[in-house]
Amino acid sequence: MSNNIKYIILVIIFFILQAVWFNQVLLFGTYAPIIFLYPLLILPVYKNEIQSLFMAFLLGLGLDITNHTGGVFAATAVFVVYIRKFYFLIGKGPTQDLDQIRVSNLGIAQKVAYYFTFIFLSQLLIYGLESFNLKLLISKLGYIFINSVLSLFFFILIDYLFFNTQNK
Amino acid sequence: MIKLLRLLIAKKSFLFFILLELISLLLIVKTHHYAQVKTNDWQTAISGRIQQKLNVINRHWYLQKHNDSLLKQNARLLKQLNEKQAESGPALPGQFDYIPAYALSNQYHLEHNSIIINKGQKDGVMPESGVISTNGIVGVVQKTSAHFARVISILNKSSKISVALAHTNYTGFLQWPHTGPNNFEITDMPVDAKIKKGDTIITSGLSSIFPKGIPVGSITDFKTVPGRKSYVIEIKSFTDMTNIGPVFVVKNRYKKEIDSLKQNPGHVK
Repeated sequence: MSNNIKYIILVIIFFILQAVWFNQVLLFGTYAPIIFLYPLLILPVYKNEIQSLFMAFLLGLGLDITNHTGGVFAATAVFVVYIRKFYFLIGKGPTQDLDQIRVSNLGIAQKVAYYFTFIFLSQLLIYGLESFNLKLLISKLGYIFINSVLSLFFFILIDYLFFNTQNK
Repeated sequence: MIKLLRLLIAKKSFLFFILLELISLLLIVKTHHYAQVKTNDWQTAISGRIQQKLNVINRHWYLQKHNDSLLKQNARLLKQLNEKQAESGPALPGQFDYIPAYALSNQYHLEHNSIIINKGQKDGVMPESGVISTNGIVGVVQKTSAHFARVISILNKSSKISVALAHTNYTGFLQWPHTGPNNFEITDMPVDAKIKKGDTIITSGLSSIFPKGIPVGSITDFKTVPGRKSYVIEIKSFTDMTNIGPVFVVKNRYKKEIDSLKQNPGHVK
């Protein structure tokens, strides 16, 4: 139960951070990193899926309301939370201890790969759903890549400063 | 039912994911004008394709109905055409009606060929009514029953139909020499007629069976008969007698009156 409350609080904090600060500030005058995905990506992968999806939906919906984007963030957040389990299945093959998979137990390289994959994917979805135009999305690939790298930087920073675990 | 419930419970996270995605996508389409327009375009394209496929099926099922409707329309147009032609004579306005029909059987390999059509007395078909197709003449009704009629085809050695050279009053008789299903002969056309290959032959209107001007065929060859002042003209019929398709029975409203005058040249009441 305490874990659930912890995640709920994290979601609220990151929602505020994203809505109030990161969406309003442009890094280098151009880039708007996304960090709202962080609490969703550190959720347990194979436990409480319904709760995770619902939380992702609410977080996304909150951002949509503040940004007037309809359901773009909600669709992206829900998609990313659902698709995570396939990442671990594809990457590691079927394991006996699926329920034991923890993001906090991953090595730094594995974490970078994991975070970057879903940050990039979510950026593609956000810009794709917002523009509804494939050509426009392709023309923004460079921007999306750099934005993803910047977002990744913040993810690693937050991870190191607040959620660093000593043991795997 | 229980199995379905179990399946739903087993896949609950997937179903919940789909539900949330649908809600999100719905919100996107509702709020974004461009997304609305694009979605409308896709919907129109997809439903258009589906409708097109369904239309092909529908058209096939309703083909017979459409055919019948077109036949009726043709009959009305033929009547209108006749009435227009009647303004310059010889027919009277409204003299001819056209009853659409289909040929149920069509012989063309015997010496005396006949056709059975699917209209009879109950439809107003009478013996000695002409039968035409969309391209030209086909035959003359010989016998009728309540729902069917037997037609003497023009591919019949006993058939003799009065025809004329188009745009003239030179007449002759159309007969079948049994040299092919679409080859005919015209006899007794006077040599005064200036004819050439390719000229059109039409019905003369001199009988009460066919109105004037129904196309019959075009001249392929002609020769004069030694000792007689007439041509023997070979023509190719416009109607393909091996494939006659839908037909029209020509109903002459004044047929009895005309025939009666021919038989009794005295005063007729």
